[in-house]
Amino acid sequence: MKKLFRTLRSMRFGILLLVLIALCSVVGTVIPQGREIRWYAQNYPSFHGTILLLRLHRVFESWYFITLLVLLCLNLSLCSLIRIRNVVRAAHGETERAAGLPDTVFLNPEGMEKLRGYLEEKRCRSEKLGEITVYRRHGFGRYGSFITHLSILLTVVFGALALYTPVVTDQNCMPGESIFMSDGTEIHVQDFHITDETGRLDYQSHIQVTLPNGRRSEIAELRVNHPFSFGPYKVFQQSFGTAGSVTVTNIATGGKDDFVLTEQSALSADGITGIVYEMLYPDYIRDPSGNVTFITVTEGSYPNPIYQFEVISDGTFTPTLAEPGDELELAGLRFRFNTPVEFPGLRIKQVSQLFNALLIASFTLMIAGLYITFFYEPVLVKTDAKGYAVGGPKPEHMRIELGEAFRDYEQNAEEETT
Amino acid sequence: MKALFFAAFAIYGAAVILEFTGTAFKKDRLLKAAWYVFLAAFAVHLVFIVARGIAAKRLPLSNQFEFANTFAWGVALMLIVMRPRLRTDWLSVVAMPATLLVMTYAALQPMEIKDLMPALRSAWFGVHIGSAVLSYAAFVIAGCIGLRYLLSVKKGSADERALAQMDYISYRMVAFGFLFLTVVILSGAIWAEQAWSAFWTWDPKEVWALITWIIYAVYLHLRLRMKRKGKVMAWFLVIAVPIVFFTFAGVNTLMHGMHTYG
Repeated sequence: MKKLFRTLRSMRFGILLLVLIALCSVVGTVIPQGREIRWYAQNYPSFHGTILLLRLHRVFESWYFITLLVLLCLNLSLCSLIRIRNVVRAAHGETERAAGLPDTVFLNPEGMEKLRGYLEEKRCRSEKLGEITVYRRHGFGRYGSFITHLSILLTVVFGALALYTPVVTDQNCMPGESIFMSDGTEIHVQDFHITDETGRLDYQSHIQVTLPNGRRSEIAELRVNHPFSFGPYKVFQQSFGTAGSVTVTNIATGGKDDFVLTEQSALSADGITGIVYEMLYPDYIRDPSGNVTFITVTEGSYPNPIYQFEVISDGTFTPTLAEPGDELELAGLRFRFNTPVEFPGLRIKQVSQLFNALLIASFTLMIAGLYITFFYEPVLVKTDAKGYAVGGPKPEHMRIELGEAFRDYEQNAEEETT
Repeated sequence: MKALFFAAFAIYGAAVILEFTGTAFKKDRLLKAAWYVFLAAFAVHLVFIVARGIAAKRLPLSNQFEFANTFAWGVALMLIVMRPRLRTDWLSVVAMPATLLVMTYAALQPMEIKDLMPALRSAWFGVHIGSAVLSYAAFVIAGCIGLRYLLSVKKGSADERALAQMDYISYRMVAFGFLFLTVVILSGAIWAEQAWSAFWTWDPKEVWALITWIIYAVYLHLRLRMKRKGKVMAWFLVIAVPIVFFTFAGVNTLMHGMHTYG
């Protein structure tokens, strides 16, 4: 049991876990993830069985990858606990221990004088123990490694919570309409446009959220990178689309109906005569002989949209085209083809703001921990009349720094140190 | 404006030739000239970056060309900052060609200025990509020092003190790069949550940034906790550089993901 515990908390085991996580990650990027099983059979005919058996098509959700992450958390927890215990223990009596160090570098009197001045200039606190003076600085630096490891652990835990606990809904919504969530929350989309007035891609809408208790948000601007949070909901600009828009007027009564069309639809009063909306194309080219070539893909708003539909009359279907603004009269109905409607696809996330806040706090802690570890290293220098020695948990930086700065004052350093 | 880029490219090339010639024939004057030519290239390069930023009305970091171009500038900047601190010029002979190598990659990319796509219009843009430039540049310089270490050991041209200094400086560069790579990953996560609604999506670029992070985390553990130094660690740094390049360029070229911006 002790051996298992020792293994679980060892750094070698931690490194092994990191290497295995890295290897799994490589596989997860080389083999496309999350496709249909048929796709793997077609593209990897010789070893798709192995892919499926080892779940290489869903590496990041596989039992072994999650096991590695859990073991890493365990390793980090144990490692952090042991580390903080050792660091706190080592901090006690450190000055006395440093005072007992034998000199490793010997300087001439001028060098020693300059060394003291140098260390004081670096704002080291000095402590006199008889003939010996111990200079120290950045004592807090010893906790950098602990803070870093703790923050990685917190990041993995809160990251998993922030990633897997939200309830996510993707839904398109026409401007002027609302999305109703299962708890009764209403998300109303006031307007949406793909490009701004200069023609630059923008994907901007204005939305308003009303919670079941009647609490209503102000009208908020929603764009990519600018989600809107209200109550437990966070709304994101996720996707977009363009739909056909047709107004049908009963010529006799003057009654009107507006239709927003995203798929094939029949519009008729009697079910016999009318139109069947087929498609809306972003752009087209008409050659001199009148033939039309449709352009099916465009970036941004449709520059030159055209409706494709069929007129049904006397049992015959006649393919027809119309531009926005065109009108058509059929069996007492007037069909007016309007400017297409741009609509947003919203991602609505029911999130715990607490998990997000804790995760971001863990991020901040990690950056602080790394900074303290690498750039706020504890300094502990023992000096006496003849020379100095560098002690503490991370002596290398100071050894090199002082070695470079006082090289010219060294006295028989080679012989003395050997 | 392209002329400025190619001028910087050509001057970097001249600096590399002078550096190699000076090193091969042990001519100090040539080495000195190489350094001044390199500084001139750096200045022209900086002018190009500023001019491009003004023309694009944003930070010039949005596509493969702009990133590679700034990355090369970052490597040059690191060399310029490090050289006087090291009080030695042994770094130049490997870092100058590294700068030129990244510039060559940039030169092979489409250079036209494009409007920033909505997903990139964020306050995190500069932090995330700027940190990536600093981080990758530091790793490249660490790799250069590792290479120089190995060459020095092979030739027996450096004393123990110089080798210890190289070893230590390469570790410091990794520490610096690691801190900034962490900033890249974490700022990217916060940005991803705002833009794509999730902190982490296992996108190939994210995963390779994590792999790079793990590789350097292993290096730091070996160096700091297991006290490994010398040749093995120098080899580690040299071998890690192609992985950094793959994360930066290979992923965008060979893998499709949400970071494929051009």
